[in-house]
Amino acid sequence: MSFDMVFSAASTLAMCGWLALVLLPRWPALIAFLRYAVIGILALAYATLILVYFFRIQGGGFGSIAEVRTLFSSDAILLAGWIHYLAFDLFIGTWIALEADKHGTNRILQAPILIATFLFGPLGLLIFYVTRAADMALSKRKA
Amino acid sequence: MSLLSGQSPAPLSGQVWAFRSDTSSAHNLLMIAIGIQLALMLPSLAALVLDDRLLNGVSVWSKPLKFQASLIMMLGTLAVLLPQIETTSRNGWGVWIACLVAAMTATGEILYITLQAARGRASHFNSETQIEGLAYSLMGIGAALLVLSSLVLGLYLLTRPAADASRGLQLGGGWGLVLGSILTLITAFALGSGQIGGPGHWVGGVRSDAGGLMLFGWSRSGGDLRVPHFFATHIMQALPILGVLLEAIAPRLLIPGLFAGSLFSIAVVAGTFIQAVMGRPFL
Repeated sequence: MSFDMVFSAASTLAMCGWLALVLLPRWPALIAFLRYAVIGILALAYATLILVYFFRIQGGGFGSIAEVRTLFSSDAILLAGWIHYLAFDLFIGTWIALEADKHGTNRILQAPILIATFLFGPLGLLIFYVTRAADMALSKRKA
Repeated sequence: MSLLSGQSPAPLSGQVWAFRSDTSSAHNLLMIAIGIQLALMLPSLAALVLDDRLLNGVSVWSKPLKFQASLIMMLGTLAVLLPQIETTSRNGWGVWIACLVAAMTATGEILYITLQAARGRASHFNSETQIEGLAYSLMGIGAALLVLSSLVLGLYLLTRPAADASRGLQLGGGWGLVLGSILTLITAFALGSGQIGGPGHWVGGVRSDAGGLMLFGWSRSGGDLRVPHFFATHIMQALPILGVLLEAIAPRLLIPGLFAGSLFSIAVVAGTFIQAVMGRPFL
């Protein structure tokens, strides 16, 4: 299996997860499937790539930009890094969706926040934080 | 607000692992340690397919996989036998410390063995760098402590059985853990000392795992000290299984049957040990 194949397989898997999260009802079984099966497979793929390739990169590490750049000069580690994004973004997306449900946020308003998280991870999380804070501040004033 | 508290459906948490009703703290320690082994075993299996690096002529992932499998079996055996110990002792300090030591040493061993495989380097008999030499010595101490913890639990099984214990499991487990631990300590010491056939587990023959016995990797061209070590450790499973079978089929033969099984186990370990020292392959 080539890295390109793993890349498209992982991206497709994550994409399907996001579509299900945005469009389907929040069945407990669906949330569990996303958390444990979809994210679990991504985590396993990441762990495998790291175990097999991480220590082969001479001069790679987390200590400086140069070390990180050296790490990502390897396609295998670049792929691992990409899968890291996919897995963690989807995990955060699932958390945002459940939190939003708990506070009664309309699904149509949830969609842009989830899409922002899908595309730009922390940016979507920031939007969620700010909308939550604004909502709490406003509802307090009402009460 | 947190994901881990609150409304999580959590089908994979809690009681799934606890196939026994035992929820003692000692039991939980063993379950977490088994979880860590499994968590490393899954990517190691995938790595076995993906990784082309070799060590001693076989995949670098063959060693971590063998250790993960056998440590899961060892910790699982302790977890299965734990409920056969009387409740006060099972919830006491002695059993708890034995299980803590087993969990910590098994985890430490597997973390280092898996890390070294990922680095493409040997974990055992490797003193090429100072850190690796130190780590190998620490693994030796850890392995000895791991075996001693099962010896302690074996003695608890024999001296403090639960009132409602299954006699076959309790006696087979007690004998198995005690005998298995002692023989494992002896064979492991002979293996680790490097005094027989030089450093490593080979005695004569080709010093490579390539072409070794299927699954096990034991040498087929010379002696291999891993053979008696394998049989010694797995007395810890063989005798409890024998005990359970005897209790089900011929309960009156439980003690003589276990006695015969113990003698047979000692004979197998001694026989394969002599075979290895003479430089002859197991099969």
